[in-house]
Amino acid sequence: MPDRFRHGSRIVVAAPICRGMTPDHAEKRPNMSLSQRQLALLLIAPGLALVGALFLYPLCFSLISAFTGPGGGFSLQAFAKAYELYSGDILFTILIVVTSCALTALAAIAIAGTLTLGESRWVVGTLKALYRWPLFIPFIVAAQCMRTFLAKNGLMNNTFVSMGLMEPLQAMSFLDWRGIIITFVWKQTPFVALLLAGALASIDRATLEAGRNLGASRLRVLIELALPQVMPTLLVALVLSFVTMLSVLSVPMMVAGSQPTMLTVDMAFRINAYGDYATANALGVITYLISAGAAIIYLRHGMAKENAP
Amino acid sequence: MRILSIACSLAALIAASPLAAQTLNVATAGDQNMVDYVKDYLGPMFEKSHPGVKVVSVGTGPGDAGSQKIYEKLDAQKAGNATDFDVVVIHQKAAGTMVKEGLLAKYTDKVETAKMVSSEAAKNSLGSDVSGFVIPMFQSQTALAYNADLLKTPPNTFAELKDWVAKNPKQFGYNGIKGGMSGVAFVTGWVYAFGGDADKLIKGPYDPAVKAGWDKALGELKDFNKNVVITPGNAGTLDMLNRGEIAMGPVWVDMFYSWQADGKLPPNMKLKLAAPGMPGQPMYYAVPDKTANRKLAEEFIALATSPQVQADGIVKKFNWYPGIDAKNLEGKLDQAAWNKLFTDITPADLSAKAKSFPIAPYFNDILESYEKKVAN
Repeated sequence: MPDRFRHGSRIVVAAPICRGMTPDHAEKRPNMSLSQRQLALLLIAPGLALVGALFLYPLCFSLISAFTGPGGGFSLQAFAKAYELYSGDILFTILIVVTSCALTALAAIAIAGTLTLGESRWVVGTLKALYRWPLFIPFIVAAQCMRTFLAKNGLMNNTFVSMGLMEPLQAMSFLDWRGIIITFVWKQTPFVALLLAGALASIDRATLEAGRNLGASRLRVLIELALPQVMPTLLVALVLSFVTMLSVLSVPMMVAGSQPTMLTVDMAFRINAYGDYATANALGVITYLISAGAAIIYLRHGMAKENAP
Repeated sequence: MRILSIACSLAALIAASPLAAQTLNVATAGDQNMVDYVKDYLGPMFEKSHPGVKVVSVGTGPGDAGSQKIYEKLDAQKAGNATDFDVVVIHQKAAGTMVKEGLLAKYTDKVETAKMVSSEAAKNSLGSDVSGFVIPMFQSQTALAYNADLLKTPPNTFAELKDWVAKNPKQFGYNGIKGGMSGVAFVTGWVYAFGGDADKLIKGPYDPAVKAGWDKALGELKDFNKNVVITPGNAGTLDMLNRGEIAMGPVWVDMFYSWQADGKLPPNMKLKLAAPGMPGQPMYYAVPDKTANRKLAEEFIALATSPQVQADGIVKKFNWYPGIDAKNLEGKLDQAAWNKLFTDITPADLSAKAKSFPIAPYFNDILESYEKKVAN
């Protein structure tokens, strides 16, 4: 039996309705007159044109520019330069984003798990009211706040010192790679937690309660019963977060010094300081490849699931 | 009928408006304070003396990035009849490129105040001949800011600074080269100090082999960096000085004084220009070649570079050094404002140690060598 029928009857009921509405359904197609088809094309035309003009055209343009040498013609020179100058930053970017994703996943699981399985109404209510807030704060504002919050003599350390938890001499600055990770995790956790909590709320509670009745702890129910059922949602949320974090310029620029830094800062610097679009585009292609890597891992996982007996 | 008449009068109004009001578009590459300077200070003053003219101030962003955007816009409109911008305020690097590509108009012979300009930067912009195309709006300078309570005698030279940092690790901070020009200026000062002939870098001619001679200096800078804090940006350095996290760092003199006046820096902070010196740069007023309002643009720049405006706006309000020769400002400015500008860095210091940035190809070589040898 396919995986998706296991979770309850809702999907089984919904499926035929969905199928009936699909335009390419074999029985429906002959009924559609030519004018209707033209109308359909006309309807999607603005969207397609927008994607073409604002996404595909610049994408091709940047790809071509990345592979063009200074004298025209095919060349890998821009990539050689990108590697020579920014190999450290490429590694740094991957490490930052992967670590942030892992920590975001942990925090989101903790929050979503508490929301679903928590038994204290007070804790669940407070958490529910609070956890979504960072979602509405733009990256640049978050970065600006972190800049004064995480500094050596910033708000966080000063608070610890005045509470007597820390000696002033022990204070250290988090305005480096740690600051970037903290900002990313703080900003992305609500997004992942929101999707995850939604998915957890829609799974069949009977399985969870059965587990509880048989004596499993709440943590065990979360890890062994609930999480496996919402894994696809968690992965989608993490892949989206991964790509978002990869593309943020303001956070690495404002929170941390520039050595090493993330690829977005290098791209901006390449253009602003040298007007060198070729190397900037090469760095862009490297970024595409990194995010493609994340997409491939996700697709692999999805396919393995589909093919499972 | 009534709707028709309203529509007719509206149409007439729209048709007539270009005759009644003329718009002068001023594009500024720089921080928001420079955009506001045009919008709130120069613009209204010009509108008062030119009834019917409206000054629109556009900011294109700080640093060379802002100038790059102006360049791209003018370059894209090269083939058209008229550009969107009538006056542009640009950095040195972009000014050279724009003059070379014929995007700017030769206008200074029509502006009276151009005769009051004495600085070398009005003729030579990082190795490009720009005489006739630009008038400096102001001259700015970088220097080392330090906490006078923590160190009584600041280092006099870059060599002394190197020793001081070795003895006091993590007390010096700068923002690398990707976080703003004060860091770039510091790295340039380092190459001037330890990389051989500074004059050749400033005056040219360009020789691609010169950069090979910087390896030792940059290797030392890499070691030096192990004992410093890399700050997030020009403002980041000032923030850390303010919070007492570092004791010294390179800053822009005008930002330093403005922050101190706003109470964002403690009064015990002082400035020092260490030998052989650090670079500064002017911003230029220029007129695009294809502007439709050439005459208005020239009149605007004449006002902006007049002694009274330079004294009140540039020196008093923003703590920049004037773009025209300082002797023209005598009598226009009270003694206190004048003294404040020269308390820590005397005019003698300025004439000996205020350098210009290197010519464009050496400038790029310094940045790229830094990325190659120090940052990666």
